[in-house]
Amino acid sequence: MAPVKPIRRLLVANRGEIALRVMRSAREMGIEVVAVYSDPDRRALHSRLAEVAVSLDGATPAETYLDMDKILAAAKATGADAIHPGYGFLSENATFAEKVAEAGIVWVGPPASAISAMGDKIESRRRMKAAGVPLVPGGVDAIDDPAQAVREAEGIGYPIALKAAAGGGGKGIRVVREPADIERAFKAASDEAVKAFGDGRVYLERYLDEPRHVEIQVMFDTHGNGVHLGERECSVQRRHQKLLEEAPSSAIDPAMREAMGQAALDAAKAVHYVGAGTVEFLVSGSEFFFLEMNTRLQVEHPVTEMITGRDLVREQLAVAGGEKLSFAQDDIEFDGHAIEVRLNAEDPLKGFLPSTGTVRNVRWPSGPGVRVDSGVYRGMEVGLNYDPMLAKIIVWAPDRERAIERMRRALGELNIGGVKTSAPAAMIVLENEKFRAGAYDTHLVEEIDFAASGGGQETAAAIAATLHRYYEARKRSLVLQADRGRGWLARGRAKNVTPGWSAQGGPKV
Amino acid sequence: MKYFAVVNGKNRELELTERLGELSIKVDGVEHQAHYEEVDGLGQVALYIDGKAYAISIEGSKNELAVTIAGHVYDVEIEDERERIASAVEKRRGKGGAIKSVMPGVVVGLLVAEGDEVAEDQPLLILEAMKMQNEILAPAAGSVKGIHIEEGQAVPGGELLVTLEFAGTED
Repeated sequence: MAPVKPIRRLLVANRGEIALRVMRSAREMGIEVVAVYSDPDRRALHSRLAEVAVSLDGATPAETYLDMDKILAAAKATGADAIHPGYGFLSENATFAEKVAEAGIVWVGPPASAISAMGDKIESRRRMKAAGVPLVPGGVDAIDDPAQAVREAEGIGYPIALKAAAGGGGKGIRVVREPADIERAFKAASDEAVKAFGDGRVYLERYLDEPRHVEIQVMFDTHGNGVHLGERECSVQRRHQKLLEEAPSSAIDPAMREAMGQAALDAAKAVHYVGAGTVEFLVSGSEFFFLEMNTRLQVEHPVTEMITGRDLVREQLAVAGGEKLSFAQDDIEFDGHAIEVRLNAEDPLKGFLPSTGTVRNVRWPSGPGVRVDSGVYRGMEVGLNYDPMLAKIIVWAPDRERAIERMRRALGELNIGGVKTSAPAAMIVLENEKFRAGAYDTHLVEEIDFAASGGGQETAAAIAATLHRYYEARKRSLVLQADRGRGWLARGRAKNVTPGWSAQGGPKV
Repeated sequence: MKYFAVVNGKNRELELTERLGELSIKVDGVEHQAHYEEVDGLGQVALYIDGKAYAISIEGSKNELAVTIAGHVYDVEIEDERERIASAVEKRRGKGGAIKSVMPGVVVGLLVAEGDEVAEDQPLLILEAMKMQNEILAPAAGSVKGIHIEEGQAVPGGELLVTLEFAGTED
């Protein structure tokens, strides 16, 4: 049991919105913040808003935010007594967690042993099984013939997926809903596997219909206390990249929340967890199965903060300083509904291709129930070096329907120019019937044709584009005219040659 | 002046008339009252059409614009009368073909040299983005007139990569 030794100076080993997020709670606790930055981030918000900022001298992630020695040197040089890794970069690097601890600096995260246990698929499955956490039923051993498949299937439960042992990319998979179909499916899967991989071995796993991706937030201190803070629904994703998240999930009732919460606590306890963590589950009907544990603060943690009224970063920092959790399980109540939309630098109208550029134009939403966690500033250059997640809009409302309307309202106020973002895709999801009914699964996003689903304002857009061109052409001709005359005449001349230039200073149509 | 716009794949024909300082705009023959006012010179615009207000933003180049209206984005390709005629003539004469990057990436392979004759759909270069390699193909047969990038160079979306001179059809 560690003695209580509050953090006084915190190095945030990250960039962008998460660095700012961590910094904000730290500042409210009276903790001084040390930022680190790469060359392109010299002007970034996280570098500017810290107490002390240290250059990591380099451009690529490998030379900067992933360079353990540089970050440790920065911590020592500035007298930081703790390091918060944010998410991504070194946050789930057990070696770094160890090095930080060896340097006598507090690591704001779980022990290195918990990170490596959960980072290894086989090891984590073994530990979860021993701890009684439900796993997707199935065997990793290959089966020899259809008769054996039928016998094994009895123990696993239908529907069953027959999968190629050497498989990947969806090849060699057959879904079987009753024993009579196994023989045919076994042959088909095996033949396909031979053709695709030169290896006909097949194994069985439970097939999940309409799976949903639901995760549980947990929080542990160093005194053996652990609490879960309910679930987050993360099924709105594209190629495993989440587009928006919400809490609570419309697939979970209080009894299931209780069961999943308990399973998440068991999972974390099995690796002697400390700090904030997330246990991911696949949910199918009323069943749930362990997927993996993320041993860090998640991107989507704000939705949990909004419905529980708890500051997870503050709690992380307090726990890392040796304090007890400030709340017990019974203190956690869920109030209302929260939704988060991620703003990724990508173009949803062009198949979500990455988008780069310089941010020129920013208008953030505000008003009741709206929170913006962002690293974006005017003049920011968005390149390919770093994670494309630029900012998050989070809303809270008393119920799901109102939260959806509030998010639509907020996204309607949002403008980011100079780089394309995924915001319009989120808008289309929020207007999707399946999403609005809460009856969706992880396939939702791939079912939507984003390029074909607009807001129905094509005429207004055409008028806007035409008038934009008209005034741009007019501006250019004015510059030419002004160049010809003397400077002080330019304004008067512009007035004279521009019919319809109104007294208010704007062009009149 | 007439304008031809393609908005998210839908065609619109617009006509802008200036008479005694007053502008009137027709969309597919229907007349609208519109007032357009730039807010900050950075892309935000106050647009009023027939008394309705639109807090929009606009960005892009002369012929390719993105208009954001109430959280939805509309990609607009726009040409005025003169440009439409010019581009039709260019196509007929087989003049100039600018090959641009559709996404930001890194040029990992340059497959042609200046002066090369190329066939339709012949790969010109390989652009890598998000760990995927994409072949950039010649849209029509012709010859390579100019190469504007080097191997290993990172390019933003919309960057001019190669200029082709199309073989074209004789008038």
